[in-house]
Amino acid sequence: MPGLGTSFGRGGATTFQQDLANSDCIVIEGSNMAECHPVGFQWVMEAKRRGATLIHVDPRFTRTSAVADIWVPLRAGTDIAFLGGLVNYVIENDRYFHDYVVNYTNANAIIREGFEDTEDLDGLFSGWEPDKGQYDPETWQYEGTEVAPSAGQKEMSAGAAEAARGEDVTHRQTDDSLQHERCVFQLLKRHYSRYTPEAVAEICGIDEELFLRVADELTTNSGPERTAAFCYAVGWTQHTVGVQYIRTASILQLLLGNMGRPGGGIMALRGHASIQGSTDIPTLYNLLPGYLPVPHADHDTSLDEYVAYNETATGYWSSMDAYLVSLLKAYFGDAARPDNDFCYDHLPRMSGDHSHMTTVTAMEDGLVEGYFIMGENPVVGSMHGALHRKAARNLRWCVVRDFAPTESAEFWRTGPEFDRGEVDPADCDTEVFFFPCAAHTEKDGAFTNTQRLLQWHEKAVEPPGDARSELWFMFHLGNRLKELYADSNDPKDRPIQDLAWDYPTDGAHDEPVAEEVLAEISGWKLNEDGEREYLSSYTELEADGSTVAGCWIYTGAYAEGRNLPARRTPWWEQNWIAPEWAWAWPDNRRILYNRASAAPDGTPWSERKKYVWWNPDDEEWSSLGDSVDFVPGRPPDYHPEEGATGTDAIAGNSPFIMQADGKGWLFVPTGLLDGPLPTHYEPQESVTENLLYGQQCNPARIEWNRASNPYHRAFDDERFPHVLTTYRLTEHHTAGGMSRWVAWLSELMPELFCEISPQLADEVGVRNGEWVTIRTARGEIECRALVTERMRPVRVGRKRNRRWVHQVGLPYHWSYLGLVTGDTVNELIGFVADPNVSIQESKALTCAVERGKRSRGRRVVTSGPLVIDEERDA
Amino acid sequence: MTAKGFLTDTTVCIGCKACEVACKQWNQLPDDGFVFTGTSYDNTGDLGASTWRHVAFIERPGKHPTDGFADLSWFEGDEAPGAKPAFGPDPTGDFSWLMMSDVCKHCVHAGCLDVCPTGSIIRTEFESVYVQPDICNGCGMCVAACPFGVIDRREDDGRAWKCTLCYDRLKGGMEPACAKACPTDSIVFGDVDELRQIAEQRVATLHERGVEEAYLYGESAESQPGTGGLNAFFLLVDDPEYYNLPPDPVDPTVTVGDSWRAAAATGLAMVAAVVGVFVSIGKAGR
Amino acid sequence: MTDDTPRFIGDQGRVGDAVGAEQQRDSGHDGYPAPGRTDHRRPSLAAEDGSPTYYDQPAIKEPVWIWSVPAYFYTGGVVAGAALIGAVAQLVDRDGYDGVVRRCRLLAAAGTALGTAFLVHDLGRPTRFLNMLRVFRPTSAMSMGSWTLAASSGTAAAAATLPSLGAPRLADAAGLAAGVLAPPLGTYTAVLVSDTAVPVWQSTRRAMPALFGASALSSATDALDLLDLDEHEERLTRRIGIVAKTGELAAAVTVERAAEDVHERVARPLREGLSGGLWRAAKLATATSLVLSLLPVPKRLRSLRRILSALAGTVGALATRFAVFHAGTASARDPRATFEPQRERSGGAGSVAARRVGAGTETQTGSV
Ligand SMILES: Nc1nc2c(c(=O)[nH]1)N[C@H]1C(S)=C(S)[C@@H](COP(=O)(O)OP(=O)(O)OC[C@H]3O[C@@H](n4cnc5c(=O)[nH]c(N)nc54)[C@H](O)[C@@H]3O)O[C@H]1N2
Ligand SMILES: Nc1nc2c(c(=O)[nH]1)N[C@H]1C(S)=C(S)[C@@H](COP(=O)(O)OP(=O)(O)OC[C@H]3O[C@@H](n4cnc5c(=O)[nH]c(N)nc54)[C@H](O)[C@@H]3O)O[C@H]1N2
Ligand code: SF4
Ligand code: SF4
Ligand code: SF4
Ligand code: SF4
Ligand code: SF4
Ligand SMILES: [Mo]
Repeated sequence: MPGLGTSFGRGGATTFQQDLANSDCIVIEGSNMAECHPVGFQWVMEAKRRGATLIHVDPRFTRTSAVADIWVPLRAGTDIAFLGGLVNYVIENDRYFHDYVVNYTNANAIIREGFEDTEDLDGLFSGWEPDKGQYDPETWQYEGTEVAPSAGQKEMSAGAAEAARGEDVTHRQTDDSLQHERCVFQLLKRHYSRYTPEAVAEICGIDEELFLRVADELTTNSGPERTAAFCYAVGWTQHTVGVQYIRTASILQLLLGNMGRPGGGIMALRGHASIQGSTDIPTLYNLLPGYLPVPHADHDTSLDEYVAYNETATGYWSSMDAYLVSLLKAYFGDAARPDNDFCYDHLPRMSGDHSHMTTVTAMEDGLVEGYFIMGENPVVGSMHGALHRKAARNLRWCVVRDFAPTESAEFWRTGPEFDRGEVDPADCDTEVFFFPCAAHTEKDGAFTNTQRLLQWHEKAVEPPGDARSELWFMFHLGNRLKELYADSNDPKDRPIQDLAWDYPTDGAHDEPVAEEVLAEISGWKLNEDGEREYLSSYTELEADGSTVAGCWIYTGAYAEGRNLPARRTPWWEQNWIAPEWAWAWPDNRRILYNRASAAPDGTPWSERKKYVWWNPDDEEWSSLGDSVDFVPGRPPDYHPEEGATGTDAIAGNSPFIMQADGKGWLFVPTGLLDGPLPTHYEPQESVTENLLYGQQCNPARIEWNRASNPYHRAFDDERFPHVLTTYRLTEHHTAGGMSRWVAWLSELMPELFCEISPQLADEVGVRNGEWVTIRTARGEIECRALVTERMRPVRVGRKRNRRWVHQVGLPYHWSYLGLVTGDTVNELIGFVADPNVSIQESKALTCAVERGKRSRGRRVVTSGPLVIDEERDA
Repeated sequence: MTAKGFLTDTTVCIGCKACEVACKQWNQLPDDGFVFTGTSYDNTGDLGASTWRHVAFIERPGKHPTDGFADLSWFEGDEAPGAKPAFGPDPTGDFSWLMMSDVCKHCVHAGCLDVCPTGSIIRTEFESVYVQPDICNGCGMCVAACPFGVIDRREDDGRAWKCTLCYDRLKGGMEPACAKACPTDSIVFGDVDELRQIAEQRVATLHERGVEEAYLYGESAESQPGTGGLNAFFLLVDDPEYYNLPPDPVDPTVTVGDSWRAAAATGLAMVAAVVGVFVSIGKAGR
Repeated sequence: MTDDTPRFIGDQGRVGDAVGAEQQRDSGHDGYPAPGRTDHRRPSLAAEDGSPTYYDQPAIKEPVWIWSVPAYFYTGGVVAGAALIGAVAQLVDRDGYDGVVRRCRLLAAAGTALGTAFLVHDLGRPTRFLNMLRVFRPTSAMSMGSWTLAASSGTAAAAATLPSLGAPRLADAAGLAAGVLAPPLGTYTAVLVSDTAVPVWQSTRRAMPALFGASALSSATDALDLLDLDEHEERLTRRIGIVAKTGELAAAVTVERAAEDVHERVARPLREGLSGGLWRAAKLATATSLVLSLLPVPKRLRSLRRILSALAGTVGALATRFAVFHAGTASARDPRATFEPQRERSGGAGSVAARRVGAGTETQTGSV
């Protein structure tokens, strides 16, 4: 999550849901928290009971809006305009938290001379290289030094490896008066000056007064005595500018001084039960555990090179070598020695983009032979289902591990293209291996939840029949591969031969002991007697090969040989922070950057919002019960010497210790591919031109231009006049593998439907409950119409051109198998993505709505382009 | 033992249906069929033999002066002639989406219990109303007698079923599954006396905060004489009918005395009529 | 809408039935609110005349009883009437009315057997019908009725069979006992339907027993009339029939009035739909039967008159029971029949709701 990572230093929710109860104002935007995180929502309701204001910004009136004090029905895809408007309001009306901003953010930093803003370049920043389609970010850097980001694109800042990057962060030029014309504060002010309430109203399609009401609530509930929190989820991330949505909120929260304080922060609501875990120990192609980048083939040629390219000279990322070496020790055990770079060469190298959608297009082109699908149902959940199925039909083999054969296992015979006989299952050569998997109740393990909390779960029952855990599958697969290559002399097989793969097993099926894996992830070192001494913090990791840790941010989860994620002391037996319930990374910390809850001098900003403070007597930081997020014993008035490196460079008033300069980044000089400041761009497919700039869409977005993936015209495509957004319902889970097969859930939401306003229903000529067809250039689906006043048309456009735009809502849980079936919503959505994280734009696009059921079968990838106008005329 | 029951506070319900599913799971109830109703997010419709908690979704239309969605003229142009749509500063107007988790009320005077001819329905030590499935013979009397339409006969096994107030869980010292699952404490389980206090406090708070329409439904015999009050009562913000609750329900056995008296009179009349005719005709003339 | 997979509740008889029958007719469509700009945008609270319901869902459950229950009402009526006539005849002139007594006892015995079979057939768990006699519960009309029926069955069977077993005096005692049980047996079914939450039944609770009692007597005379009767017996049944049918018609009008007095909505099933049709048919048939039996005819046509009148009367009695039954079902399905009378009467929760500030004005979304 580079949006949070580049702003604050770590890519995780900055707070925990229990703390929302302390908030005075909660803005839920880009999430339907009540429906998607109902359990965590209890603390929002608790805040409300205590008198907090709840604001929901969402194109739809949802179950969250139903209990909100203010609902803002903005047009999907315009949050940067809305939030940018708030930034502008805060600055213009002097509502920012001055002392916080000056001390804890990079507002005072001066940016290099050559920097040009979107104000100057009509929607682009300096450094745009049209032929490459990307930015050269050199001019975005600080004057006087060059910093590396703590997250995001670590390498983009440099032309060449430069171990000294950021070393002279102490030479960073600043202006505490915030008046210098190139200081971040002034740049920010200028950048957002055109995001006036009027502009917000025109772009987002909301009323100016409503916007001002939100601005007023938010600002009056922020300051020393009060705090406001933001909650978001995939309503923000699934856009071609998704990362920058989160960045805008980060800027706002920094300006308002809400970060690192109780009742404040940004609550990133994650998805699957352990999706946070699967970015921490990632299933991503470009990250190793603990957000260490995967080496690049062209320049990360040795361990030293890698470290040089990726570490920062200051802050905690300066110990990158210790993190990587400990990981290599976990991977390769005794084979990893100083003389062989700890087997660094065994790591796979990245030769380009291997993100999900790129891989699928490669599959379509026949470039991929085999495919593992484990705990995913991409034919339904990922974009462009028809393309997915076609691509899968070009594989030689495919492994699917799930409870039941899902659509992703049945791609060779299930789908609209088969209904019309366009494709014959007999023509598909892909060999599919289906393995039944054990459910979470049938195996030991840990979830890392939305607030970075590792919670252990124990096996309650044996998995039935052939069902096995993922751990069992990977472990035994690994053993067989090791057996297979045991006698090979081919150097390419060395990684497999060297792999340390000796987990103890248990039970009739030789199930690996999960706790042993946790122990390895958390880490140890060996004492003189060769016995393990478990580590309690990542600060104990060494680069000399003496420590083993599978994921440095998780170090401490198994401190003293105790399974801390299994702790179950309820809060009422300790305090509301409940540090002895399970274990959170990093260092069991619940509110990140909590040093910021105290003023620069170390005293709490206010008694009401006290959390962490400096104790001059014992020269140490204290807290209400949380682990303090700061260098231990570092006094508030500490100033690093010139040229200091590592953690020594962190000043006493720098709460963001992962950052090279210890500051919250209002302006991101490096780390993001699409600009240092969030800028409003329209979605790839929009109903309107960009009202702010000549630049229509995010210039750096990723497109896949191929016949099977057609796009609509950027705007004013009259074939697709409505805004379409997709989302979840409480009653189902994502692609449906865990809900469409469960009768108790299926009966609650038995059929695919779209939510449309009465006005649109009138236009289309459809009544509640009737069939409609929804169409994009990629395909068409049919569903029931749920006509409801919860959907409202919005008025978009400049004064005289203002017009009404309809929004269409589609929950995406259904497909062709299971107890309840329906069309697959993702047949409609094409491949186009945010440049930083390759996340698709499934929250805002355009569509057409017609009365009646769809034609049978037509899909771009099998029928060629759908020439929609002709067909309609025929 | 003191009476146990529920306060269901609809103002904090988020319609997550966790209660509905938890109840089904704990009691291993079958599904109710997969039927898209088009009635907001409610696809199970009502309480019944296999749905013992049911979450209602009320899309209460805005009563905006224009009430003007019907008139789409504003919709075409820029400045709408006359009527402005109902989304000014407060885009909801007074539109609202009310949610309420319905359940058996465990009435103090329970129609179902009072009419049950087999004694299958009993009042437990928790003052709850419980159907003993091994005794019920499926006569259907209770189904017609419940003034709330709660209890129903299951087609496959022919017996009457409804919420048990999780009798088995209470016996085991646990709170009911639905209350346990409710994330927002919209369902509060406890001693009815205490619940009443909590509820009154809550209503007072809501009134203070401007939600003047909040009130309690069925919390006492005074407010609902027909049932003697409900052990599972509700905090509502609109007329009970919106939630499919009757405004003044009556346990039919409260009024059935009228019928018995009429029956007695009828019986006498029947005898009188027959005797009268015989008398008028006299002995069999043979 | 041409739809190949209609999966609306309307088609499945769940909620759709609830969507007012008139609405279904208007829209000619799966039970959805009719087309037009005002309707479809409010799938919710179809506010007819401003009176709210929950999507027109029934407020109470429809009785689960099937055809055998009204059939039993009828049979039970015949039994009650027959037992009563038999007992009185026995008292007035045991030997002189021997034919009447025997026929009455036969009818009663056969009727109780058949009626019990009808009732058992309706049970969800027929094998557990004896559980009916597990408890004695005065608040439960069905419990009281079950005991009455059980006793009636026993006495009627004894009265019918004992003479042939050589115990005529015991049989007479049984016949008398059956006669004593007859009035409760003939009227408890009316109490039973009133002992429910069904609006049209509950609101007519004072009038219904008279209807059921009169109908019991008349249906018994009609049943006797269909048997072979001598002139004297015929005179007897005709007179009782005339009195009973007059009473039946008068009671029907009283029932209608009682429903109407409570609320127009409550009386609706007696005017409209299947139950309304049956109700009208019942009145017509009963009246026809009455007129026929009053019609002066030559002697040779008397037995034809008797048979025709009996047939019409039987149709009337059956139609009455089925009309009442179906009216109950329709009434249970109509939420407004439950809500509106309750809202109108003072006291109870209705007044609590009225306390609600400015009913029908603003309620904001969760200003909790
Ligand atoms: N019951 C249930 N819970 C779930 C899941 C589930 O499937 N079912 N899935 C889990 C997963 S994997 C995830 S990722 C999370 C997702 O959690 P959420 O992000 O909360 O879920 P969504 O429903 O996808 O989207 C949230 C809201 O974003 C709104 N939205 C759409 N476009 C925009 C926009 O441009 N701006 C703004 N401000 N809002 C917009 C939608 O209307 C929707 O209400 O939920 C998790 N929790
Ligand atoms: N249009 C649209 N598309 C979207 C989104 C959207 O908002 N709009 N949201 C996106 C988001 S945020 C997400 S997370 C994806 C989700 O999309 P997917 O991840 O593809 O969908 P799931 O249904 O969650 O797939 C998880 C599968 O894992 C199986 N499973 C569960 N437990 C286990 C286990 O222990 N082992 C194994 N092997 N399998 C298991 C389940 O049965 C299920 O089939 O969808 C994305 N797609
Ligand atoms: S499913 Fe799990 S993660 Fe989602 S709301 Fe429920 S408890 Fe929380
Ligand atoms: S009468 Fe209805 S609501 Fe009351 S206890 Fe019986 S089933 Fe429950
Ligand atoms: S159906 Fe069962 S529980 Fe209901 S009244 Fe009859 S015997 Fe009692
Ligand atoms: S108390 Fe138990 S049986 Fe009753 S609704 Fe709740 S979970 Fe279901
Ligand atoms: S569990 Fe609670 S919040 Fe969820 S629907 Fe039921 S009562 Fe409402
Ligand atoms: Mo997700």
